[in-house]
Amino acid sequence: MGKADQAQSAVADPAAEADARAYVARVMAEIEEEVRLHRSSGDLPPKLERELDELFLAHSPVAGRGGDLTEALRMVDAATFVDPVVPIASERAAGMVVKKGMRTLLLWYVGWITHQVSQFASAVSRTLHIVDGRLQQLERQVDAQRVASAGVVEFPGVHQADAWWVGPAVEAVRSVPGRIVHAASGDGWLVRKIIAAGGDAYGVDPRSEPVDQGVLTVSDLRGEELADHLRAVVPAGLGAIVLSGVVDGMSSGERAQLLRLIGTTLAPDGVLVVHSLSRSAWESADAPSEADLAPGRPLRAETWRHLLAQGGYKATVAHGPGDTDYLVSAVRATVSPAEPTLPQ
Amino acid sequence: MSAAGPHGPSAAVHQFIPTLNPRDATGTHALLLRDILRAAGWRSEIFAEAIHDDLAAEAHKHWRYPEYAARGDVHIYQFSTSSAVAGYLADRAEPLIVNFHNFTGPEHFAGWEPHTEQRALRARAELARLAPRTSLGLADSHYNERALRQAGYRRTTVAPVLVDYARVRAAPDRRVAAELARAKGRGGSDILFVGRIVPSKRQHDLVKALWAYRRLYDPDARLHLVGGTSSFAYLKALRGFVGELGLTDSVRITGDVSDAALSAYFAAADVYLSLSAHEGFGVPLVESMVAGVPVVTRAAGAVVETVGDAALRLAGTDPLYVAATLRRVCTDATLRRWLVEAGRRRVPALSLDAVGPQFVRAVATVAGSAR
Repeated sequence: MGKADQAQSAVADPAAEADARAYVARVMAEIEEEVRLHRSSGDLPPKLERELDELFLAHSPVAGRGGDLTEALRMVDAATFVDPVVPIASERAAGMVVKKGMRTLLLWYVGWITHQVSQFASAVSRTLHIVDGRLQQLERQVDAQRVASAGVVEFPGVHQADAWWVGPAVEAVRSVPGRIVHAASGDGWLVRKIIAAGGDAYGVDPRSEPVDQGVLTVSDLRGEELADHLRAVVPAGLGAIVLSGVVDGMSSGERAQLLRLIGTTLAPDGVLVVHSLSRSAWESADAPSEADLAPGRPLRAETWRHLLAQGGYKATVAHGPGDTDYLVSAVRATVSPAEPTLPQ
Repeated sequence: MSAAGPHGPSAAVHQFIPTLNPRDATGTHALLLRDILRAAGWRSEIFAEAIHDDLAAEAHKHWRYPEYAARGDVHIYQFSTSSAVAGYLADRAEPLIVNFHNFTGPEHFAGWEPHTEQRALRARAELARLAPRTSLGLADSHYNERALRQAGYRRTTVAPVLVDYARVRAAPDRRVAAELARAKGRGGSDILFVGRIVPSKRQHDLVKALWAYRRLYDPDARLHLVGGTSSFAYLKALRGFVGELGLTDSVRITGDVSDAALSAYFAAADVYLSLSAHEGFGVPLVESMVAGVPVVTRAAGAVVETVGDAALRLAGTDPLYVAATLRRVCTDATLRRWLVEAGRRRVPALSLDAVGPQFVRAVATVAGSAR
């Protein structure tokens, strides 16, 4: 009895199942070995697959080629000439004769039309090349002044469940009416704490790896940018927002944009909790390199208090041991003084 | 799961679906589920935004639901694409179960079908919109369940899609069977794929694999691509590619076929090959197992869950690797027999008898017991 026959006779028990898996693994290993031999003998080199892909893409629509403008323009150029000589191939002999006759009869008419279409297409193509040239020039200028978006910057010992600020943050949000969002949530370590304390929390984080890990144990983690998420939330739809590892390295423009979005999505009497590193911790020698590369630097706690007061929040600040970080808890007033009132 | 739900006993569990089509996985699922719900004691009707003429007697337009509404109704939404039905249900108050079949992501249509890309984006937004008012998210694979969780669904469970796999055992279409037999008489293997011709199913990768397989092992091999299309741009590119490789006589693009013709294709196939980049479940993979055709498939989306250990699973689409795998399956009798037997053992777990009760139990957690 061969290995495969043994495997198929009793796959219901775990030993047979393991046998079956071993059999399939052996087959796949043999296939891999054959592939290796073919490769080393020069049959179907890897570049051939790329050539096949290119051949296929030559038949795809312009935009199907990854949005490369130069390639798209090359396609436009190639399609500029409209051929009036229609193919006449047919599965039936009579069909070819009929088609040829029709083509001859209509060529004077079709040719006149296609000539004008070709002229128009050439003019469009020339225009697109001019636009392309100007765009490239602009791109070069903009590229030199581009400000990168701040990613999540987490410090060891600071962004974890037993950090000093976690208890006060959970306490500040656990009884708010409405849902609580934590960003950047990682694998949901703070979301779990808030849920355990009775809050209805979920997490948002743009990093797919911790979200994929956390989604198995935390019911609600979203793998997206916080700003994108807040844009999709209904106005005044959130009870509280907890930020950690998010705002520290933001540029002033990005921070202002985020605060505007928070102002729209946070319910009246909602709570905003901001955890931030201090400047000294941010600049310390053991700070992660993401901190160095971030476009901005952490604000001082007093600056946060000032900013939030302008936005109609009542904020309190707590400092961590050794002045490495601080926590701002702010309650949004029912009517923000910064919001203009309608004329009566 | 408990049989008594939070909303108490209910007399009616109605389904809503974007489009009710015959020979369509979601449509077939809805019809079978309706029969199962009725057999379990609930009243059950189907409401759809669009209904195929052949099924006009089986369903009602969704906006006619108020004529049938009664206190205690529970709704099941068969979510497979964007539809006005999603908005309609979002604004109603009845307890809702979202039966999620997944939808092909917009990234797969980018550059090919702008309209379909937009539709996929809308579907994503509709899925999130329904999350807060959904009592239960019912996914047909753990892969789909993860997508529900990511969209904000808090209570979820898994039950495979309902399929009447008997259709692949229908009497084969004589004309198609004779044509396939004539070709087989000239030698060469028959490779089969069943599914819509769309970018996400990656039929062009199947053509690349065929090209490599013919060049290295079997110059007379043929590829049968069975299924209609919802992407004419992709179909056009695929035809052009096939022509450019000189494979026009070896690649048959059949369009939609009858159950009898499908049965003929399964009967003639030496191997079922799928290199699809996205599958929420993969009904034809199971149909191949029912038909006794060995399966070689790319491990994408929910495929691994669907086939279990009953298929050779590929990590990628490298034509040489795929060709070597095809050759092994087509020439190694022991492996073929093993795959066919493993497939047959896999099928009962996905059969109506096994899956139907799972649905009844899941629905009962929301609707309460029917009797």
